[in-house]
Amino acid sequence: MENTERISLNNLLQSSDLLESDIYAIFKRAKYFLDNYKTIKKFKDLEGISAALAFFEPSTRTKLSFELACKRLSADTFSFQSSGSSLSKGESLIDTLRTIEAMGVNVYIVRHQCSGVPIFLQQNTKGIVINAGDGKHDHPTQALLDSFTLYQYYGKLNNIRVCIVGDIIHSRVARANLSVLQKLGVEVAISGPGTLIPNKNQADYKVIDKIEDAIDWADAIILLRLQRERMESGFLPTLREYSQYMGLSYSLFSKKPGLIVLHPGPVNYGIELDYNVSAFPNVLIQSQVKHGLFIRMSLLSLLVQNYREPGG
Amino acid sequence: MNHFFKKIRLINPEDKVDSIVNLWVKDGLIKHCSIDEADIDNETELIEGSELVAAPGFVDMHVHLREPGFEQKETIETGCEAAANGGFTEICCMPNTEPAIDNASVIEFIKSKAKNRLTTVHIAAAITQAREGKQLAPIKELNEYGAIYFTDDGDCIKDSTTMKLALDYTSIDKILLAQHCEDHSLTHNFAMNESRVSFQLGLKGYPTVAEEIILSRDIMLAEYCGNHRYHACHLSTKGSIDNMRIAKKRGQKLSCEVAPHHFSLTEEKLIAYDTNYKMNPPLRSKEDLEAIIEGIKDGTVDCIASDHAPHTLHEKDVEFEKAPNGIIGLESSVGIALTYLYNAGHVGLERIIELMSTKPRQILNLPKIRIDKDEKANLTIFHPSEDWVLEKSSIRSKSKNTPFIGSKLKGKPKYAINNNLIYKSIL
Repeated sequence: MENTERISLNNLLQSSDLLESDIYAIFKRAKYFLDNYKTIKKFKDLEGISAALAFFEPSTRTKLSFELACKRLSADTFSFQSSGSSLSKGESLIDTLRTIEAMGVNVYIVRHQCSGVPIFLQQNTKGIVINAGDGKHDHPTQALLDSFTLYQYYGKLNNIRVCIVGDIIHSRVARANLSVLQKLGVEVAISGPGTLIPNKNQADYKVIDKIEDAIDWADAIILLRLQRERMESGFLPTLREYSQYMGLSYSLFSKKPGLIVLHPGPVNYGIELDYNVSAFPNVLIQSQVKHGLFIRMSLLSLLVQNYREPGG
Repeated sequence: MNHFFKKIRLINPEDKVDSIVNLWVKDGLIKHCSIDEADIDNETELIEGSELVAAPGFVDMHVHLREPGFEQKETIETGCEAAANGGFTEICCMPNTEPAIDNASVIEFIKSKAKNRLTTVHIAAAITQAREGKQLAPIKELNEYGAIYFTDDGDCIKDSTTMKLALDYTSIDKILLAQHCEDHSLTHNFAMNESRVSFQLGLKGYPTVAEEIILSRDIMLAEYCGNHRYHACHLSTKGSIDNMRIAKKRGQKLSCEVAPHHFSLTEEKLIAYDTNYKMNPPLRSKEDLEAIIEGIKDGTVDCIASDHAPHTLHEKDVEFEKAPNGIIGLESSVGIALTYLYNAGHVGLERIIELMSTKPRQILNLPKIRIDKDEKANLTIFHPSEDWVLEKSSIRSKSKNTPFIGSKLKGKPKYAINNNLIYKSIL
């Protein structure tokens, strides 16, 4: 079977670079991989391609997902860890990139604690750069897999209402989803404590003050992980207060049992999400993880296709 | 070598002069300055002046020369050449060196390095020891050794008691204090202005109020301490300009400067994470930029200062959040002012000369420049409307960290003349 879809990009540096048609092309090929992975164990899309997993910040699921996606597509992969590398000896990021590049790498999958690093690296390499999460800026594959999960569930995305709940201001997942979901015609809102949502100088999203109202309004909610260091830096008084006022408890959930719940993981049970809620079939956290693999396979396949046949 | 500028337009706002003259500079003095012809000798180069303007030498009162301590970024020698290349005959260097300019020996060191150059180097010393914002530096002694104003620039004196003590301590001698207005508790780890753009880019923001809070506090303290003179460095927000305007109307003895990048660029430039757009104070919004231009037009803003802040390429070629703040400005300042203020139709040439020469001289109590026969020649010669592009190869500063490389500008410095030396700009 021939896959004819193409995307307009040569790298995936940030969500805002994606056209609506790019997103649907990624969905289409992801669906193809989802439908065929059981019969075709190994796809040849990335044969002869070397992919570096340059994770300058700890990651479990994103890294595993990308690594497996590369392997299912027959790429050679190697991992780069910042701890124990020359970065910890004071080597600059740009020199690290040049070192990796000198070994003949074609694809860089980059995770970094500083915003904008994939853009900075792309300006300094000829290879394909994929943003696997940069600082507070963006995490495009997470937004793609979240919207793909909703798309698989609803069969369409326009006129769906999604509320993102939690620490919006420090979250790259929130920014990525706000960008991608709005592009797909999803009606989005945000909800969170005043210290963790953008003020009016920073953004102009629909803000829903109470989680009860957010649940009432939304078809689906995306719960964000609450970083414990937010308490230490004074953004929140106590964890207990957060879970009391912003957490999805069983009693809230039971008022609207049809509510779709997404979470990028890893979940803090008892803080943003009640453990008893997690077992319900419309809590799609496991689907998100599963879809993440096919979204990343699709993205890699489409980007490498453009790399191999420029302008084709 | 001596120089004769034939039919050059001479503008000196202080003397209300704006006329065409034949201007002969010989042995460091003005030999001839009138519309009459002069009988020049064969040791004098004749320069056609009909498209050029001669003005009292330009002053940049906010320059980081980096020496001592950071000679990899700039030295007094390279900084002085950059100043001359950019049309400045006098500059004032900032105290955030290593060691800081907080004792007489550092002043003597700078003076010895700056000797016999075209560019006259004035010195701004620290208000507090090691610029730590705690114990006052020996301000009277430093003043006697030649420091012409005082600031902890780069850092703000956050403790109100220390600022009040500094104002009280210097009140008798009427010494000028200047502040880099930044409430550091609101700007910890900032990378840019706090705004929609910072949210979108996921960068920590520096809210405009962080500048305005300190400016407001200092204006109140300066008034409380007997209407003390006070100068605000590189103001960047609409709120600051508004506040300054009101306080000046009240009769307070205040002055302020703005940097060229704050009336020519906005924060939108940061979307590609180019570290050459990272500075402190950061690039702000269009509304702030327009308020600064309004302040320049109505006199709220006293002068332009480049905040020349050299950094090496390897320091800037890093993750945006890790890059140091600052851009070089000595060689683009005149071009930016002429492009974005004069040629954009906001102000006339006499106002440009006020902003870059006569006003900073008044703030610093420097002697008035007279452009007349037998006076010492301290002149900036520029072309008010020549089109040009800032090339990296023409920059004499040791560092090249500026987003203006490759920019098309209109209006250009041509010669700097001072201390019996002339520098023909290679820009």
